[in-house]
Amino acid sequence: MKKKDSQAELLKPKKTVTERERTFAMIAIPILILFFLFNTLPLIKGFIYSFTNFKGYGSYEWVGLRNYIDLFTDARVGKSYLFTVKLAFFTTILVNIVSLLMALGLNAKIKFKSALRGMYFLPNILGALVVGYIFNYFFTYIVPAIFHTTSILASGSKAWIAVMIVCAWQAIAMNTIIYISGLQTVPEDVYEAGMLDGATGWSKFRHLTFPLIIPFFTINMVLCMKNFLMVFDQIMALTKGGPAQSTESISFLIYNNGMSGGQFGFQSANAVIFFIVIVTISVFQMRFLNSKEEQL
Amino acid sequence: MAGLSLEHIGKKYPNGYEAVKDFNLEIADKEFIIFVGPSGCGKSTTLRMIAGLEDITSGTLKIGDKVVNDLEPKDRDIAMVFQNYALYPHMTVYDNMAFGLKMRKTPKDEIDKAVREAARILDLDQLLKRKPSQLSGGQRQRVAMGRAIVRNPQVFLMDEPLSNLDAKLRVQMRTEIARLHDRLGATIIYVTHDQTEAMTLGTRIVVMKDGVVQQVDTPTNLYNEPDNLFVAGFIGSPQMNFFDAVVAKEDDKVVLKVGGDTLALPAAKGEALLAGGYEGKTVVAGIRPEDISDEAEDLAKFSGTVIEGEVAVFELLGAGVNLNFDYADTQMTASVAPTTPARVGDVVRFALDPDKIHIFDKTTELAIVH
Ligand SMILES: Nc1ncnc2c1ncn2[C@@H]1O[C@H](COP(=O)(O)OP(=O)(O)OP(=O)(O)O)[C@@H](O)[C@H]1O
Ligand SMILES: [Mg+2]
Repeated sequence: MKKKDSQAELLKPKKTVTERERTFAMIAIPILILFFLFNTLPLIKGFIYSFTNFKGYGSYEWVGLRNYIDLFTDARVGKSYLFTVKLAFFTTILVNIVSLLMALGLNAKIKFKSALRGMYFLPNILGALVVGYIFNYFFTYIVPAIFHTTSILASGSKAWIAVMIVCAWQAIAMNTIIYISGLQTVPEDVYEAGMLDGATGWSKFRHLTFPLIIPFFTINMVLCMKNFLMVFDQIMALTKGGPAQSTESISFLIYNNGMSGGQFGFQSANAVIFFIVIVTISVFQMRFLNSKEEQL
Repeated sequence: MAGLSLEHIGKKYPNGYEAVKDFNLEIADKEFIIFVGPSGCGKSTTLRMIAGLEDITSGTLKIGDKVVNDLEPKDRDIAMVFQNYALYPHMTVYDNMAFGLKMRKTPKDEIDKAVREAARILDLDQLLKRKPSQLSGGQRQRVAMGRAIVRNPQVFLMDEPLSNLDAKLRVQMRTEIARLHDRLGATIIYVTHDQTEAMTLGTRIVVMKDGVVQQVDTPTNLYNEPDNLFVAGFIGSPQMNFFDAVVAKEDDKVVLKVGGDTLALPAAKGEALLAGGYEGKTVVAGIRPEDISDEAEDLAKFSGTVIEGEVAVFELLGAGVNLNFDYADTQMTASVAPTTPARVGDVVRFALDPDKIHIFDKTTELAIVH
């Protein structure tokens, strides 16, 4: 009798696990199918096209590694890499400095803290394209009208600054929130001990606050870098890569020339290389910054 | 080094709670002041106000001759051992202790010397490279202690600095603190729940309750002449026994009537009671467990103050025995010699030392006579 009981007990959980598994599967499989259809399949197809001279229409031939070899000698691709890296680098720095300052401000003992936090988060919920078009109008009509200058967007040497401002304006919202949550993990008593030890102002930030929020700094650096390397919407809305291709980001070039420039195969190769570059940079960043994180 | 002066200090938290009320205390240079009181009575709050971590709502705080109400904590030259340690989680033990000196731009070799010296005293030599998360509670507490010691400030504030140590280490640290006090000649304010620490370390003890100072006095005076019922019950362990008694006069002598018993009082106490107009009134009598005896010699000596009770609990403490017995509708405790023949269920005769009977007013709870 006793034995039978224990056997039944052994069997029972197994059955529920399979039921649970079936539920999981029912939820997961449709998503997996969709993901495969709209994400994995195009990725594989793009990878295959990168070995062809497909124009986006008509017939095509296999060209082996030819596209990849050409990538490294193509001036326009090189220029877009330079622009994208420059933009990503400076915007990441700008965003992190500004959002850290904002977070420190919004974490202080001030009035209307929650309301202000909500307000500063607003840019994040707007679409990048919308923001881009608003700023386009702002740079094209409002700023020149006030300062009696030509539009910054028409300047080959300065248009990237406009792109940087727009990218930063929107990204700061999310980064600030991440820094605020980071600052809230620092226990108050650490600051109290610091107050008695004489750590105030800058030394308080340098010796107490910053070391304790480095994990959040890492996340922000990596996310920023990745997002800005893949910048597309803002370019689309602001400059369309111009003037004179001076603000042509890699994603934009891939889209533009791949879709309407008859370089589908070539830009697919570009996309594959770009994918590898981004993964490499992110992994490298994580490794490097992780090693700097304090082991608490 | 400097003394402190707290004049009418009050603290009202933003939520309206009054944690400290009209706190007055003059602390001389090099004094060792102990704060005791039940949990939540405002000890930490007072300490934090002295440190400058909490705004002082009312009153004046002076260090030396200087009013420091609005002085930044770092400029008060105070080191604090926090109740919850408040170590820097990202720094090693060494850096935790060195940080204060580093912020004060002390030369590196001096810092090193101070930290190693403190580590030696506190038995932390082996742990200098660890982070706080890799330490036990007691070890963290010693690091917090070390952080204060290396600073060598005018005033030390210590909020239950030994509460997490094992018994042996606690005794060892207690002597270290006493020695430190002698050596540095610093003013120390020390919060503790430990009676032994309070009695042995303090030059004076401050007893608090609900944010109000009950009595400030030397350990001996607090023990022998508590100002009120609260202090009498709070100081001493096991705590003082209290029972209601009616003051009466018999044959020109003042006695206490407890149920059917009559307890004879020494003449001085009787006079004080009569002078206060307590004849015929109910008062609270108090006697410490160590002033109750079941030995024949004492029973003979204090024959005027003998009571009887049935032993309910027998606690062997090693060096002594605590007997709990019912008397006059209360539980009483007697601390007697371990050789006592009394056991649970026995009806035992106890002698009260009449000189050690304290008498309190039943309504004001203030002491009438000791
Ligand atoms: N920030 C605060 N806001 C409101 N009330 C507070 C605050 N901090 C403490 N209190 C209250 O003030 C009273 C005194 O607190 P305090 O920490 O000084 O007690 P304590 O005597 O140190 O107690 P313990 O022995 O438990 O450490 C408590 O009743 C507590 O609830
Ligand atoms: Mg406390």
